[in-house]
Amino acid sequence: MTSMPMVRRGRARLVLRNTAVGWSFLLPNFAGFAALTLVPVALLFYYAFTSWNVFGGAEWTGLDNFRQLSHDHSFRTALTNTVYYTVFHIPLTLVAALGLALLLNRKLRGVAFFRTVAFFPYITSIVALAQVWNMLFSPSYGPINQFLRAIGIAHPPGWTTSADWSMPAVIVVGTWREAGYYMLLFLAGLQTIPTQLYEAARVDGANAWQRLLAVTLPGLRPTTFFVVVMLTIGSFKVFDLILVMTNGGPGQSTLVVSQYIYQKGFVENQFGYASAISIVLFAICFVVTVVQFLINRRGSES
Amino acid sequence: MKRSLAAVVGVTAAISLVLTGCGGGDDDKSASGSITLTLAGWSFATTPEFKTIADGYHAAHPDVTVQLKEYDATNYDTQMVADLAAGKGPDIYPQKSLKNFYTYQNGKQLLDVSDVAAGLGDKVGGMANYQADGKTYAIPYRQDSWVLFYNKDLFAKAGVKTPDGSWTWDDYAAAAKDLTTKFKAGGSKAVGDYEHIWQSTVQGFALAQTQGASIESGDFAYLKPYYTRAVDLQNAGAQVKFGDATTNNLTYQAQFGKQQAAMMLMGSWFIATLLKQQGNGDADKFDWGIAPAPQLTKATTGQSATPVTFGDPTGLGINAKIAKNKVAAAKAFLAYAAGADGAKSLARIGITPADTDAVKDSFFQLPGVPQDDLTKWTFTHHDTKPENPPGKYTAALQNILNDLHTAVMSGSKDIDAAIADAQTRAKNEVLNK
Repeated sequence: MTSMPMVRRGRARLVLRNTAVGWSFLLPNFAGFAALTLVPVALLFYYAFTSWNVFGGAEWTGLDNFRQLSHDHSFRTALTNTVYYTVFHIPLTLVAALGLALLLNRKLRGVAFFRTVAFFPYITSIVALAQVWNMLFSPSYGPINQFLRAIGIAHPPGWTTSADWSMPAVIVVGTWREAGYYMLLFLAGLQTIPTQLYEAARVDGANAWQRLLAVTLPGLRPTTFFVVVMLTIGSFKVFDLILVMTNGGPGQSTLVVSQYIYQKGFVENQFGYASAISIVLFAICFVVTVVQFLINRRGSES
Repeated sequence: MKRSLAAVVGVTAAISLVLTGCGGGDDDKSASGSITLTLAGWSFATTPEFKTIADGYHAAHPDVTVQLKEYDATNYDTQMVADLAAGKGPDIYPQKSLKNFYTYQNGKQLLDVSDVAAGLGDKVGGMANYQADGKTYAIPYRQDSWVLFYNKDLFAKAGVKTPDGSWTWDDYAAAAKDLTTKFKAGGSKAVGDYEHIWQSTVQGFALAQTQGASIESGDFAYLKPYYTRAVDLQNAGAQVKFGDATTNNLTYQAQFGKQQAAMMLMGSWFIATLLKQQGNGDADKFDWGIAPAPQLTKATTGQSATPVTFGDPTGLGINAKIAKNKVAAAKAFLAYAAGADGAKSLARIGITPADTDAVKDSFFQLPGVPQDDLTKWTFTHHDTKPENPPGKYTAALQNILNDLHTAVMSGSKDIDAAIADAQTRAKNEVLNK
């Protein structure tokens, strides 16, 4: 009984020391995160309520930026285009990634090679990709349109040089680029499904399609949820691909929100207004992700 | 365990010191009166002008060393704005175009250099663009003007009359179509002209040559005749289509230098590039010349009038935060760069200085420069209006007009609808926001 305070003091010291060790492991990463991300993000919330234009002080303007945003036609165009991209990019990439993963999740000669091939677009420089795809899409001399003409389409689309077809062209390239990355996640997910389940399904007489619906897809549920969340956020903040492929054009046909932020901020030096748009984009991503979490939770409870 | 904890803490402390410890004090103090000025520039490998004036000034003033600081050409203004805002800007920095002059001037990032301007007099072209509230904030050292480059060999081959300085835009369009027809008949793939993808190739001329046209008015009707002609020329096959030029990343240097087009409107900076590329084999060797840009009406054509064209001057400004003891040297540097000595050293490397009259002799002594009378006349005779008249709204309005340019030239929108759209956007997003 007399040794109790001693033990307690010893434990307290141990806890303190473990905490210190834990923090010191965290610190290098956290210091970088704080200096380069946390502080700028906190400042962003302040700048959104000012008319800061880089030089001089930031003048407090209250909700002016948001009021201007509410009837900014270009912002609405950018938002519509972003939703357009998102609505097509997510399902297409999801299906392509899952298809590739199922295809490459079997014993196949050279499967490592094919997996690498599928992953290749993701690790290639996006500027180079955009350059090459732009040439492929070139309206008069590009191979894609030459092929279309060869199979009898007299007036193939103008792709990146046409207001109606530039977004589909960008979506195709975006899907092609990212499918390989999400395929890897799906491949990892497929490994976690116990083979006994497949054996049991076979014993029950399920065919390949039924096994896919009853075993594979439910088994992939956590992976699919993660992929959808990542794809949603990625699609809403799509930037580099658009910037190098079409630069938002022709006209404003591929202008997306993050590019609009870049334009207002870094090109026109309206950092206050650009910050306000960033907050709106953040809010949209936040709400959509929360909704996805709620749906996922309800689904896993039932 | 204890030892490893100490190591972790030590390393962590070191890293956080590195992360937070950036930006120490800057020491401008120099030994025994010698001064070092920093001068910003871009693409030093292909743009020798900065080194030329820096070395030229150092030769005349051995106690002053001019150190060059390189920036990316495309993102020059973005990087410069960031550096200035962080208080790390160079002592002297060029105004690459007029588009962002307002940002720097209104942001109080430029020192008043009215005394330098007064000392230089009125021979230096483009000075007025850098004035605000009766003060001058930058000194132009080069003033490029857009002219018509033409390939004499291709004209001779087609048997079409070369430009003579009397051309309106209709003459230009007719010649471009005529050339294209003749080339096709002769089995050549070349076309009449090449129009680069920049908005300025259409809008710069429209703004400069149309009476009463202004960007800040928000009335863009003046663009219509220029776009109608440009679209007509590409539909007729007399110039490469906009979409083919963008998707294939065509460069104007190769289009003209490799004789794909017989004519090209371009800024006078291309003279130096073409001379260099013909020398090193990047461009074919052929006979060429420059002529005044085609005019809107006959009133400004012919050698008795001065042709109207456009081009932004490139000016040098002094960082408002420059150390006090460097101000005099920096002002002297500006006076040198814009004055006759600086102009001559620039002309020797093919650059068009702000004072073209002072250098015409040295310029035309460069090997490879065309010697015909029209080229010489064109070099010194031009009424050059700014492409980006400085103003609070210029940058934002130019972005709207660029959307109009890509929409119309790609054939996505007809010009009337595009103008109406741009005017609405200008009103809602920029002028009356």
